[in-house]
Amino acid sequence: MPEEKPAKSIDQATQELIEKANKEGVNTAFDRAESLKPCPIGAAGSCCKHCGMGPCRVPLPKGKEETPEEKQKRRGVCGATAETIAARNFIRMVAGGASAHSDHGRGVAELFLAVAKGKAPGYEIKDEQKLLQLALDWDIEIGDRSNNEIAVDIGEKALAEFGKQEGELITLRKAPLKRQELWRQQGVAPRGIDREIVEIMHRTHIGVDQDYVNLLKQGVRAAIGDGWGGSMIATELQDILFGTPAPILGKANLGVLKEKEVNIIIHGHEPLLSEMIVAAAAESEMLELAKSKDAEGINLSGMCCTANEILMRHGVPIAGNFLQQELAIVTGAVDAMVVDVQCIMQSIQTVAECYHTKIITTAAKAKIPGATHIEFNEHDAMKSAREIVKTAIENFPNRKGNIMIPDHQCDQIAGFSHETINYLLGGMFRASYRPLNDNIINGRIRGVAGVVGCNNARVKHNEAHIVMVKELIKNDVLVITTGCNAIACAEAGLMVPEAASKYAGEGLAEVCETVGIPPVLHMGSCVDNSRILIAATAMVKDGGLGDDISDLPVAGAAPEWMSEKAISIGQYFVASGVYTVFGVTWPTEGSKEVTEFLFKDMEKLYGGMWDFQPDPVRAAQLMIAHIDSKRKALGIDQARERVLYDMEMRRELEG
Amino acid sequence: MVYKTVKKEAPGRGEVDILAETYEAGIPAGEEVGRWRQKMESRDEKLKYLKSGERYWYSDDWFGSEKRKNPA
Repeated sequence: MPEEKPAKSIDQATQELIEKANKEGVNTAFDRAESLKPCPIGAAGSCCKHCGMGPCRVPLPKGKEETPEEKQKRRGVCGATAETIAARNFIRMVAGGASAHSDHGRGVAELFLAVAKGKAPGYEIKDEQKLLQLALDWDIEIGDRSNNEIAVDIGEKALAEFGKQEGELITLRKAPLKRQELWRQQGVAPRGIDREIVEIMHRTHIGVDQDYVNLLKQGVRAAIGDGWGGSMIATELQDILFGTPAPILGKANLGVLKEKEVNIIIHGHEPLLSEMIVAAAAESEMLELAKSKDAEGINLSGMCCTANEILMRHGVPIAGNFLQQELAIVTGAVDAMVVDVQCIMQSIQTVAECYHTKIITTAAKAKIPGATHIEFNEHDAMKSAREIVKTAIENFPNRKGNIMIPDHQCDQIAGFSHETINYLLGGMFRASYRPLNDNIINGRIRGVAGVVGCNNARVKHNEAHIVMVKELIKNDVLVITTGCNAIACAEAGLMVPEAASKYAGEGLAEVCETVGIPPVLHMGSCVDNSRILIAATAMVKDGGLGDDISDLPVAGAAPEWMSEKAISIGQYFVASGVYTVFGVTWPTEGSKEVTEFLFKDMEKLYGGMWDFQPDPVRAAQLMIAHIDSKRKALGIDQARERVLYDMEMRRELEG
Repeated sequence: MVYKTVKKEAPGRGEVDILAETYEAGIPAGEEVGRWRQKMESRDEKLKYLKSGERYWYSDDWFGSEKRKNPA
């Protein structure tokens, strides 16, 4: 009897569709990960291909300590050391990630300005309060001016942040005062979002910056420009345009697809077009057209971070996360998969050719050979949206009959923006982070962990996410999440209030029950990691937990990371003072010095540091140990008995 | 803000209108559930909320880590 292969996912729906793909001879990322092993030299950051003299490979010797002579020789043709090469590769990942988030932010700012000027019909300012908030943040006059007048100023200022050449980003003002000062002292306050990314590309060109500490410092500067700049601008402006998320009920997993309806999956990262598709799909004309093709309706669902965006604001169900994108097509029931940018596998087109699914690319900067391209035009977005929905409907009769939708989906509550958490904890008249801080101080909540990031086909799908999150909440650590981790948690049923009594420790469960929240809070897409920064800042400012983010009993993790964006996110969390653990693989293992700097020396400079631990339980324990060390430093590591003072004791006090 | 009233029996005065609860009902339901931001209608209300609810950034009148005698 052949040996049974271990499952490639912890998720039942995913397992069922992997099996279907195998039976139907469809090649997926799960198969490719098996047949295509990662290059160990590249994975450790020891390969430099920045010039035509290389690629130069400078791996650490295997199974023995390197002698000084061997180390001297471990250089590229240009003389760059293994340290320089590892640091270059690392910060080029930061640059890639920061540019992805920030270009998203720029796209939002361009649309925002067009809306403010009345040049983008169909869009409007949905959250006046957030508009006013940004006006206050950025010293823009409010007075009796109309929302659009204020928005024009905000849009222009936001766009200017990308190309700014000197000074510092205006968005840094949101950070704790002490953190802002630290960034200035360290010389890492970003001047402009684009400038810091361009400078990375320059410094990592052959023969420029060859000091790994200096290289890594620029990585910090660019990453801050991402989290506290480009990503934050994206989040804030999206909130103004589409509404600041508030708690909303949704569903997750491939079971959200409906056999008798036209299934449209919106996949990628930006909500600009998807907001319009949501509106177009609800139009009676479209529903009539769907019925004329014998479909019972139109079923929209999301994938990856576009899914998170439209879930947070409209409750649109999530079909899955990164590693489920090909499998959604394998159901045979997806009539169109609409993609914009980031984390879209080129192979979805190949998989789609085995079924009837139409892959529709919509961004001028992200095309796939063989796919249908319907370009998103912000000046007539509804036209693009209707054309997309119509294309999907007209494809419904082309289904091939080999349909199998797994019967698995979970409820979830999403929509936990900073503003909503603040409101939930205090209400309209006393909105506050005080209850959270108090419960951290009294020990019911041990700390807070931000668990975020991707899926990675090198490890079992969703396993590290769920094992880590369960370990954290079991130990009374409140988890806040974004991106593919959020989707994994939803699929595992961790995002409903009932999950608190089932999985959380007694203290955390008590708080969750009182407030009526799940133990894992969905804060949005990957640009919405900026919401986590703001939430951490609010915790600092409310008082009782130190003066800076680095004083808080908090930690971060990306247990299944794979993208450059994750590295940029990790770097800005570390630069903001957060201990951050990554799983799967570590991209500077080829240089002990660079790794030592990231894991230890960064703490001396920024109060936060990186760590690497592929075992999710051990990683969670590292995070808990860090949280405990912060609790100790704050003097809240031991429960204090409450003493009720009688009159005599009070008199003694007064005396 | 429009206040709700309820009818109650008052000793010697029969049925009178008195102020009902001003807090949100315990079990919200319906499409608008959770949509708390829409409760604020005027710009003044929204600015006032920013000064109180988001006081950490928009008000000088609060206590916290950056508002001590020896600020951070």
